[in-house]
Amino acid sequence: MDEDVLTTLKILIIGESGVGKSSLLLRFTDDTFDPELAATIGVDFKVKTISVDGNKAKLAIWDTAGQERFRTLTPSYYRGAQGVILVYDVTRRDTFVKLDNWLNELETYCTRNDIVKMLVGNKIDKENRDVDRNEGLKFARKHSMLFIEASAKTCDGVQCAFEELVEKIIQTPGLWESESQNRGVKLSSKEEGYGGGGACGGYCSML
Amino acid sequence: MAADSEVSVLPISFPVRFVVAVSLLIAPFSPQPESEVFEITDFTTASEWERFISKIEEVLNDWKLIGISSGKPLEKGVYTTGTWEEKSDEISFADFKFSITHHYLVQEHSDKDGKEELVEDALPLPMQDLLCMNNDFPPRAHCLVRWYGLREFVVIAPAANNDAVLSESKCNLLLSSVSIALGNTGCQVPLFVQIHHKWRRMYVGECQGPGVRTDFEMVHLRKVPNQYNYLSGLLDIFKSKIGCPLTPLPPVSMAIRLTYVLQDWQQYFWPQQPPDIDALVGGEVGGLEFGKLPLGACEDPISELHLATTWPHLSEGTIVENDVYSDLDPIQAPQWSVRVRKADNPQCLLGDFLTEFFKLCRRKESTDEILGRSAFEEEGKEVADITHALSKLTEPAPVPIHKLSVTNMVHSAKKKIRKHRGVDESPLNNEVLNTILLFLFPDAAEKLADGFESRTNTSSGNNPPPESEDYNLFSQFKSAPSDSLTYKLALCLCMINFYHGGVKGVAHLWQEFVLEMRYRWENNYLIPGLANGPPDLRCCLLHQKLQMLNCCIERKKARDEGKRGSMSDRSPGGTSGDAGKGADHSGDNPDKEKEFGKSWESWSDSEEEFFECLSDTEDLKGNGHENGKKGGAKEGNKEPVNLKPEGRLHPHGKLTLLHPGEPLYIPITQEPAPMTEDLLEEQSEVLAKLGTSAEGAHLRARMQSACLLSDMESFKAANPGCCLEDFVRWYSPRDYIEEEVVDEKGNIVIKGELSARMKIPSNMWVEAWETAKPVPARRQKRLFDDTREAEKVLHYLAVQKPADLARHLLPCIIHAAVLKVKEEEALEDISSVKKIIKQIISHSSKVLRFPNPEDKKLEEIIAQIMSVEAVIARARSLKAKFGVEKCENEEEKEDLQRFVNCLLEQPEVSVVGAGRGPAGSIIHKLFLNAQRVSAVPPLDEDLRRSGPAEERRPNTGGAADFPPPAGREVILRTTVPRPAPYSKPLPQRMYSVLTREDFRLAGAFSADTTFF
Repeated sequence: MDEDVLTTLKILIIGESGVGKSSLLLRFTDDTFDPELAATIGVDFKVKTISVDGNKAKLAIWDTAGQERFRTLTPSYYRGAQGVILVYDVTRRDTFVKLDNWLNELETYCTRNDIVKMLVGNKIDKENRDVDRNEGLKFARKHSMLFIEASAKTCDGVQCAFEELVEKIIQTPGLWESESQNRGVKLSSKEEGYGGGGACGGYCSML
Repeated sequence: MAADSEVSVLPISFPVRFVVAVSLLIAPFSPQPESEVFEITDFTTASEWERFISKIEEVLNDWKLIGISSGKPLEKGVYTTGTWEEKSDEISFADFKFSITHHYLVQEHSDKDGKEELVEDALPLPMQDLLCMNNDFPPRAHCLVRWYGLREFVVIAPAANNDAVLSESKCNLLLSSVSIALGNTGCQVPLFVQIHHKWRRMYVGECQGPGVRTDFEMVHLRKVPNQYNYLSGLLDIFKSKIGCPLTPLPPVSMAIRLTYVLQDWQQYFWPQQPPDIDALVGGEVGGLEFGKLPLGACEDPISELHLATTWPHLSEGTIVENDVYSDLDPIQAPQWSVRVRKADNPQCLLGDFLTEFFKLCRRKESTDEILGRSAFEEEGKEVADITHALSKLTEPAPVPIHKLSVTNMVHSAKKKIRKHRGVDESPLNNEVLNTILLFLFPDAAEKLADGFESRTNTSSGNNPPPESEDYNLFSQFKSAPSDSLTYKLALCLCMINFYHGGVKGVAHLWQEFVLEMRYRWENNYLIPGLANGPPDLRCCLLHQKLQMLNCCIERKKARDEGKRGSMSDRSPGGTSGDAGKGADHSGDNPDKEKEFGKSWESWSDSEEEFFECLSDTEDLKGNGHENGKKGGAKEGNKEPVNLKPEGRLHPHGKLTLLHPGEPLYIPITQEPAPMTEDLLEEQSEVLAKLGTSAEGAHLRARMQSACLLSDMESFKAANPGCCLEDFVRWYSPRDYIEEEVVDEKGNIVIKGELSARMKIPSNMWVEAWETAKPVPARRQKRLFDDTREAEKVLHYLAVQKPADLARHLLPCIIHAAVLKVKEEEALEDISSVKKIIKQIISHSSKVLRFPNPEDKKLEEIIAQIMSVEAVIARARSLKAKFGVEKCENEEEKEDLQRFVNCLLEQPEVSVVGAGRGPAGSIIHKLFLNAQRVSAVPPLDEDLRRSGPAEERRPNTGGAADFPPPAGREVILRTTVPRPAPYSKPLPQRMYSVLTREDFRLAGAFSADTTFF
């Protein structure tokens, strides 16, 4: 079954408590929505195989608890992730303000610096919006992230968010290539300077 | 082929040329279209030869080399600055394979569309190039470019390297094919065939234009006929080859280059001495001390200097050179240029260190196997068997163990005993071992008696400041910070591997190191040189393991001291002190984490409350469950109010408990368990294996709820009478929703409740809350079993083989090497090196970040570092030779520095001011000195070797200052009508090169073919 899977990717979901991380994940993996989803303890884990541009990728998605106290525990699982989804709640400005902390956290605990980051503004179905789309956009641009607004409840943008992220990861070769077992043939990057391999090279005529 | 070495087989001109009259040979690609369509053309009987020719034409067509070649006159030096490219194809004559290659200078096609007016009878471009003097003697170029000054040409050569066209008839056949193909296609690009063995680089060729033809001919001899030693003789042969019917002959222009080679740099000894190993123990001799890597070449990385003195444009008659007199004094030459020949693989220290260390990675022996035999004879159990180390340390030792320094003393004492017995086979001697241990564990020295010179962290001054780019390199390389114990250990092992007993020494030091770790764990001494806190996952695993051990030591120490403290505390104060204590701690506890390790006394008492007694935790668990259930059944989850608060950290400040209205206290909590990356890996695997089902998720949450439960218990203990709402307000504030409500009296009050998800019946939070007993952190079951974890780490360390160790630490070594070359480059300022270092860093950070990088990639990195080291060594060598440092005139010094840098990066550098410039006069002196030294003894030998020709070589002018030229190149050019006086005047050129073992004439003679 796994034979045609190009690679396995580790994806993280982080963000303040109650912004809907687990709901986004549940919508993506099981296409359901539960308004009363229990608060995550520590980390949770789900798997889904998706196909992006004809490439099948198996996603191991780690969902984390947003509570401050759990932050001594969860960052351990950041290790080796290729992509991260950073979620805030568009109806709660404080969850948006805290994004900087989360990025710092990532910086500190992520073992790689080329990890692909996506910013998701969740709960756009709600009426009492507190964070404008442009603000999210601005933040994402400043930190070179992907950006989308979504609603786990109405399903808006969820699939798209994960797909975009995976596509971006796949396009960043150094990020996943070496972890897959069967690597393709690598083209040698031999530098062919003139005189290096030519008939007689550079210093030919003399001595 | 040494037999035919005396005189080349090939005569200067081809005596017979095939007259081509093959009727069948109608080129299918000929530019003139066939006029008669009905005529049947029969190729069925075409010979191999015909097919060969048509194949050549086909290739020329494919490459679009047909027609008039256009281009601008060549600019000066464009052969060096421009890019050369080549295209290849394969053709065969019967079953003999040839490769056909087009070499060309890439030119801008500015006039492609303009198709500048073609002058009716303009000469083909290659013929014009023959006379162009802008690119004589290019420093790097194909030999045909150097010999004929061509910007493009096609070469047909045997495809296999050892194939050769030897017989004269075959050579002629090939040349005829070329001639026919050129004629058929109208291609104006010169076409050469390579004949004879490849190493002789013999080419003949032809270039055709409308009514003109140039023949390229060549002579290659081992021994030079006497007359060709001098200009006069060369002029004679040139004129006779042209056979010009005109008198007087138009003047011949000459370009001459004499090259001199300097091989021995007499008084300029290579500055770097091999490091003195014996002096190492003392410390800093030769830049080599523990904790540093060496850099530099052990031999001169510059082997030769070639000085080319050039007269770019002389006309015939202005200069005389024959067997009795010469006007060619190198000092007077208008142009000087220099190139240096680099030693192929100079032995360099840093490179050797790296390579040797890398070799360790492939050893298979375990530490015991390596040390076993020598240790076996004596106190086997003491040295070889680490598992007994514990008992050894608890045994009565010759020295009391209360001082940290004792470990070192014990080791040396052990060695001394062995020495007295007369068998000292331990790979490291005491002095070296002690120096290293002091270097690694400077805290031992601090507490040492005055007997030793106290050498504290001398190297710390050289470390880049934290937060700098260099300092943070460790996170890119996954090594360890440059001031850490791990990093220093890596450097020491590297040094020992190289100088002190190789793999045996490594095994020995490692064993001592592991013993020291064990000793520190047993005796509650923190390991120095490691950042506080949980293992840094950005560092290598070994570093994480050491940090883990330090965490264990920290906790054990706190516990042990807590026990001692509480025991003494308990008797006077009893329970009454508890309430006050809570308040006391509220002030100092928040800082305690930061102060870790600074001063033991200041914080030890604050930790005393931890883990007093495990056994009653178990008791409480049993009871607590029931209690919890009862409590849960009652609304509000209220605990009995009469409980005394315990384990308070400090008041929350803003919040009060919902029901009693007392201030909400933040409890002292257990720190979560530190983890190394391998543990994490294990744990996430376990968590992942639970699968994605609801049960799996539930189980996963339960597995991770220990921490939550512990926090809840601490919270309950610190806040008697609290409820889940209180806890949630502290722990997950967003799950407590407050609303402004207008009550019946019309006042606005804030009403709060748990969020919907917290209210789900029997969700994990509620469940845990119900289970939780009010137990302060100190009486809870430990979340982190430091004893077990420490033993696991110590075992892990003990079973590491030297090869494992080398793999663990290789990133640190590469890190150190990069810092070293960076530091050294900063002194020299070589831009090319800067660039390569950047590449090395980005390359290594890609390779080293993944577990188990491929050996091949690691080797690449090491090779890159070695090449950088060689460049730096060369720069230093050149600087010393040219006395850059000694130069007093600032401006000249800068010029010299620039000159030296150019020598490193360019194939050939011209000397400003030639022999009279500052660089020139230094070069002159270098030669002069070399000449003086060699002048006395080797006179006879010289005569014998150089033979009669050189014996009579004129000894005038600069000859005394310079050795005889190692190479003489002369280009003669003129434009004369050939073959008849009324023919078109056409370019004629002859290049000659004469070196010690080889003489070559390469002539290009053009003739008007209109009436001939």
